[in-house]
Parts: sequence; C-alpha cells; structure tokens
Amino acid sequence: MSQTIIAKSLVKSFSQNKLALNDVSLEVQKGEVLVIMGPSGSGKSTLIRTFNGLERIDKGELNILGLRLNSFSNDEIIKKIRKRVGMVFQQFNLFPHLTVLSNITLAPIQVQNKDKKHAEKSAYELLVQMGIEEHAFKYPKQLSGGEQQRVAIARALALNPEIMLFDEPTSALDPERVNEVLDAIKSLAKKGMTMIIVTHEIEFAKEAADRVLFMDEGRVVEITTPEIFFTNAKNERSRRFLNQLSK
Amino acid sequence: MRFTKSYIIQYLFLLIIILFLILIINNVHFNLIRTGLGFDFAWLFRPASFSLAEHILPYSPSNSFAWALLVGWTNSLRVIFVALIFSTIIGISAGILGKSHNYILKFISRLYILIIRQTPLLLQLLFWYFVGFLSIRNPVNIIVPIINISNQGINIFGYILTPEFSSLIIGLSVFTGAYIAEIVRGGLNSVPKGQWEAYKSLGISDSIGLKDIIIPQALPAILPGLTSQYLNLAKNSTLAIAVGYADIYAVSDTVINQTGKSIEGFILLLIGFLFINLIISNIMEFFNRNILKNKA
Amino acid sequence: MKIITKDIKFLLFKARKIGINNKTDLFITFILLVGVFATLTNFLNWIFFHANWEVVSRNLNLYIIGTYPKALSWRPFLWISIIILLSFTTLLKKLNYIKKRFIYICWLLIIPLGIYLLAGGINIIPISTNFWGGLSLTLILTFISIIIALPIGILLALGRQSNLLIIKKITSLYIDCMRSVPLIAILFFGQLLTPLLLPVGMEINRVIRAIFSFSIFVSAYISEDIRGGLQSVPQNQIEAAKVLGLNKYQINKFIVLPQALIIAIPALTNQAIGLLQNTSLMAILGLVELLGISRSILANPQFIGSHLEVYVWLALIYWLVCTIIALLAKKIERHFSKSLNFQGDL
Repeated sequence: MSQTIIAKSLVKSFSQNKLALNDVSLEVQKGEVLVIMGPSGSGKSTLIRTFNGLERIDKGELNILGLRLNSFSNDEIIKKIRKRVGMVFQQFNLFPHLTVLSNITLAPIQVQNKDKKHAEKSAYELLVQMGIEEHAFKYPKQLSGGEQQRVAIARALALNPEIMLFDEPTSALDPERVNEVLDAIKSLAKKGMTMIIVTHEIEFAKEAADRVLFMDEGRVVEITTPEIFFTNAKNERSRRFLNQLSK
Repeated sequence: MRFTKSYIIQYLFLLIIILFLILIINNVHFNLIRTGLGFDFAWLFRPASFSLAEHILPYSPSNSFAWALLVGWTNSLRVIFVALIFSTIIGISAGILGKSHNYILKFISRLYILIIRQTPLLLQLLFWYFVGFLSIRNPVNIIVPIINISNQGINIFGYILTPEFSSLIIGLSVFTGAYIAEIVRGGLNSVPKGQWEAYKSLGISDSIGLKDIIIPQALPAILPGLTSQYLNLAKNSTLAIAVGYADIYAVSDTVINQTGKSIEGFILLLIGFLFINLIISNIMEFFNRNILKNKA
Repeated sequence: MKIITKDIKFLLFKARKIGINNKTDLFITFILLVGVFATLTNFLNWIFFHANWEVVSRNLNLYIIGTYPKALSWRPFLWISIIILLSFTTLLKKLNYIKKRFIYICWLLIIPLGIYLLAGGINIIPISTNFWGGLSLTLILTFISIIIALPIGILLALGRQSNLLIIKKITSLYIDCMRSVPLIAILFFGQLLTPLLLPVGMEINRVIRAIFSFSIFVSAYISEDIRGGLQSVPQNQIEAAKVLGLNKYQINKFIVLPQALIIAIPALTNQAIGLLQNTSLMAILGLVELLGISRSILANPQFIGSHLEVYVWLALIYWLVCTIIALLAKKIERHFSKSLNFQGDL
C-alpha cells in the first residue's frame, strides 16, 4: 500500500451554520509533497490539523499510515498517529524555558525512551542538517524567527516521523528569513519525506510540490500538478486566488 | 477506556478524602467523649459572665454567649468598615502620588510602601498602640478643642475613640493602604502611555485628566486587587486581640476558653467569616459589573 | 547680569528635571522638604541621643536564638551565619554554571541543616523545641512551612484546573474556605484543636503544630498564584507538546508547570515574605519567635517603656530579612525570565 494518507468525505464544523471542512476527500502517496493553498478561512489549517488529531472530524474517515481515524476514535489511536507524524506550526511554538537542544531531545527521551546521550547526538546531527548547530545551548528567544522555525523542524524530525505537516511555516517570518526555512523543507523533499505543506509561497510550490491542492470554503476546489495549477488552472476561483496572490 | 480510568482516579480520590474525614471525625468523637466535652450549641444561651470593654450594642456579663458573639461581630464590622474607608483614601492618594512628576512626592510614596510592606502588621499594630497612644505623656490638641489625642484615645467633639480602636484603625488603614497604593500604581501603569500624552496634548490639566481619562481606564485593572485587599483587611482585623480590642476573634477566644467548646466556637467563627467574605465580594462584584457595563 | 540670568535659567532647568514646573510645585516641594528634613532630624536625633539602646544591646542573644541553651548557642548562630553567607554569595557574586549548581544544592540543604543544628540528634545533644526562639525560630518556621506548602499548592492548583469534576470541586472548596478564614483562626485551630483530631496518646509539639497550620494556610494562597501562572501559559505550547506525542502528565511536568512556576515567581515571593511576617502571629499564641521574645523582653520591669526602641529594632530586622528574600527572588526571576517572554511570541 503506497498511500500514506487517505481521507474520505471529511466534515468538520466549529459553528452551527458554517462548515470548516465540507466533504473533503484526498489521497497522499508515500514520498509525495502536497502543497495546500487557498484564501484564509478556507479550511486548509483545519484539514492539516485533522491529520494528527489536533482537530476531531465530525463525519468521514481518515486512514493515516494504516491507522483509521474517525469521529469515534479514542485518544490511544491519536497518540499512535502523533508518534509517526511530525508537525511544524506557524508560530514555531518552541518551549521558551528549554534550550534549543532540550527542545529537540525532550520528546525522544520522554516519548521514545531513548537514552540522553543518544538523543543529544541525533539532535546535534539534525541541527547540523538545519545549519544552526552553533545555537544548541541558546534559548529560543535568543534566535531569529527563521532560526527558531528551523529548530521547530528539527524538533519534529527528531522523532523520525514518516509524514511531516507544515502549517504556514513561513507566514510569521520576516521576508528575508523565509528562504532559509523553505530551503530546509526542500532538502527534506529531496530525501523522499512525505510532506503536506500549507503555504502561500508560489515559487516554492512550483519548485517543490508534486501536487497542489486548492481549497475554498471548506471544499477541495482542485487538486493537480503545480505546472497545470499555476499556468492553466481549470477553476475560476483558483485563477482569481492566484491573481490576487501575484499582485 | 478513557472514561473509566478517570472515573477510577476520581472515586479513589473521593474515597481517600472520605476515609480521612471518617478517621478525623472518629478521633474527635472519641476525644470529646474522653474529655467529657461533647458537641452541642446549648451553651450559646447560657450567661457569658465576662465583660467587654467596648461595645456598640448594649452588653452586660449577664447576657448570653450568643449575644456576646454578636457584640464581637458588631465590633469587628465597625473596625472593618472604618478601616476600609481610610485605607482606600490612603491607598489611592499614595498610589497617585507615586506617579507624580514631583520627585519628592514620589520618594515619600515609595518609602511609605517600602517600609510598610516589609514589616509585619502585628508589629505595626503594637507600635501604634504602645508607642502611638499609651506612651503619650502630654495630650496633643490638634485643633483646639476639637481633636484631642492622649493615652486615653482620640477625643473628637467629646466623642471618645479608645486607644485600642484608634490604633487598630490607624494600623490597619496604614498597612492596607500601602498594598492598595501598589495596586493603584499598577493599574495606572496599565493605562497605555499614549493616553497620558493624549490628554496632555489636549491641554487638559493633570487632575482632570486623571479623574476623567486615566482612572476610568485603570479601574478594571484595579478593582480585582482592591477586592482581595478588602478581604485581607477583614481577615487582618482579627489581630485586634493583640491590642486588646474585643473583636469577634477575641470574643470567640474568650468564649472558647470559658466553655471549652472549641470546635463549636471555631465553626461559628468560620461561618461568620465566610459570610463577611461573601458580602465584600458581592459588593465589589456589583461595582465591577457596573463599571464594566458603563464602559461597554 | 547676563551670567546671573544664565544661572537662573540653569536652575530652572534643573528644577524642571526633578518635576518642579510652576510656583505651586515649588511651594509644595518646599513644604515637603521642610517636613522631610524635620522628621529625619528628629528621628536621627532620637536614634543617636535619646533612645536607650540597652534594651537591644543587652539582649542581642535573645533576639537571635531565644532561650536556646547558652552552651549550645553556637548551633543556631552557625546556621544563621551560613544563611547570611549564602545569601550574600548568591546576591553579590557573578556565578558560572557549576557554581550556580553548587549554591542551588546549598540552599536545598539549608533546611535539613537547620533542623539538625537546632533539634540536635545524631552526635549532638537533642534540644526540645520549647527552647527554640528568636530569629532562628522565625526563619525555620518560614522555611519549612514554605517548602511544605509549595508542593501542596502545586497539587491544589492542578486539581482545580483538572477536568475531573470531583477533584476540581473538592480542591476548589478547600482553597476557597482556607482563603476566607483569618490566619490567626487557623493557627489557633492548629494549637488548640489538633490534639482533638489526633488519636489518643499521640502528641505533636507546638512548633510542628504551627508549621502544619502555616502550611495548610499558605498552600491555598500559593495554589491560586500558581493557577494564575498555569492560565497564562499559551495554549499553543500545549498543542506543540501534544503533537510531539507527550502525554498529559508529561505535558504538565515538562511544559506547563515549569513555565507557570516561572511566571508565578513574583507572586510566590510575596507569599514567602507575607509568611515570614505572619510568623509573628505565633507571638499571640505563645511561641517566642522574634516578636514573641521581644514581648517577653518588654515585660521585664528593667526595660519598661522601651517599646519604641524594640519596635524600631524589630522593624529593621524584619525589613532586612524581607528585603533579602525579595532580592534573592529577583535574582532567580531574572535568571529564568531570560528565556520566558511571551510578548514576543505572537
């Protein structure tokens, strides 16, 4: 089975008369990079957050790495999924009271029961990979936004996830800091990591995405290759969105 | 699975609490039988046969214990009420002076807060009582012959406040005032700097600017802290026993010593204080709601 | 002439800098200055020429160690000296990581050391708590009560935040009741009623009863301070921890509680200072801690009428100890808050 994520008719609402997710279905292949785009409030963040159980779905069914998740699923299954799915947030959400190194080693030591030395060694390697090894003993607040986000990526990778979720990873960054984070994500793509990325960065999507999913008002409007999406989008709403973005 | 686990934890916790209570109640029961004290409230209606130096309500030793306790409560409420007003006046003044542009005023306000907050209230009460009143050798006439201060207390227009009552009021007001001042200062600091600059740039004087612009905005931040200071004031008023003022705690202490009914006396004291707390919190909540309503 | 106007202008500039803008200000400032000066001279005059400090100097031992046996007085004195030394090292020296660790461990050992030195036991003569007194008793009451109240307070705060309804209700009831009762009533309860609560034949001495009362009282207040801290930890911190697969217990232990405690340091400091001041209430209930021993000294006919001297002296000691605690807490807070600054987070 090469599908890592199968979503069938997901429905989710926060208030009574508006659906955040309205009958969303999709499949993600192993090693695929899927970029999700869409106007704000279109449900893209909600969708990505259902993949690791941060949001519970009201109807429909999810199959993540062979684990089935629906509205009745208990916490145990969500915990199992979270151990295999990493996530990076818009606001980094690093733990301010821990050093960069402790931020990364906390989960491997506590969740995977790795010994401290081993965890620190792998953490250091990840920091080297992200190009921020000199900050290992600093606190998050002493780092720039781009550096913090790379720490957050390293923290998620430390658990050796099979899927990585990125929820607008560059939206909180200063413009000149965006590329260092995108480059780090691209290098992951080259290594064959399965990734789902919510972003507004067109150039990045063109370069790194295998497919682009466009959402509006909780529905999947279009799911296609970046070549087709950015040059020849079928749907009128996608074209309008792209026009606004490129202005 | 998840539900059952949390239910087991809860019921286990409840069980431990209940077992603990049973153990204690059992001990108390046994000890009461052993000492022959028993548990009842009939003693409340026996004559108290002790005298109280100060009382607003009529009182004589032939009155019942219940009446003595009521007199204690009225004495307490009298202190709480008066000290509450004075401490508010002192606290707000000192808090605003702490934001004054005059360095000396600011210095005095800071010094006041610094000294009062870092020394025990009990020590301050003893100071006001023994040094402030009892050691006065020559009576002081502040405005002859309206206010006269001597080791007999304060005499205003022939109305005499005992040294016990006066020192308690001064001590509690000065102490609580320092805490209120700190809360007021914090509240004023919570108003954005732009608001101060805005009224100044409109040519509005400091006093009007404070009254009409700054304080209304600072009040939501001040009121919760003020409430807890008033509650503290009510609780601290029980230190009256140190200067010999017959407040509810002092009366309860005497009653318990005379009757040996410590548990009953303690329960009555607790209920009284829960009641006072409720009154103060509710009044403050009322103010709070009205102010927030006006703002919205 | 020109020079004089220049001088006046300069003086006016100076005056404005300290907040004097107009004639009213000048007048108020003048009155205040005279008042401050008069008070200060009077006070200093009294301190140096009129006060009779014999009541302090002749009883120094009593203030610090109470009625502790003379021959063994080195024990409480040693303990207090170590505390002073440790405080000053912590406050004055710039410390590297290893030294910080060392000092941290020293502080942890202060309480067991104090109990050992005061109470005696292994290798040194045991001394009953009846002989404990003065500043050493005040300090040990404060330290032990705080160290017991802190974990109870944390548990109560977590209980009140819990979504297990029964636990939430019971902890809330305990906290609210405890907070609405005057401390003196709790202490009185502790001294008078605990014998009734205990099984027959079991007895606890007065000092332990006082510590018990202080602990259950202060823990309710501490729990509310910590709850405030818990509530100000941003929700996204919990989310990030969940995503990493940490369970509820781990999230509380590694993510939420440490941050909540750091946020609560200023409030907890105030509780510690408040507790130290409130140990003086035990003077009413018959312990001879700092205030209690002073009352006995004042009751001595030899020192009658020396109230002011004693109270000023006591105020000075309490003020010093409280200030040292406040400074130590500032130092700890500065150390931690380097990392914690939520304003920059969003």
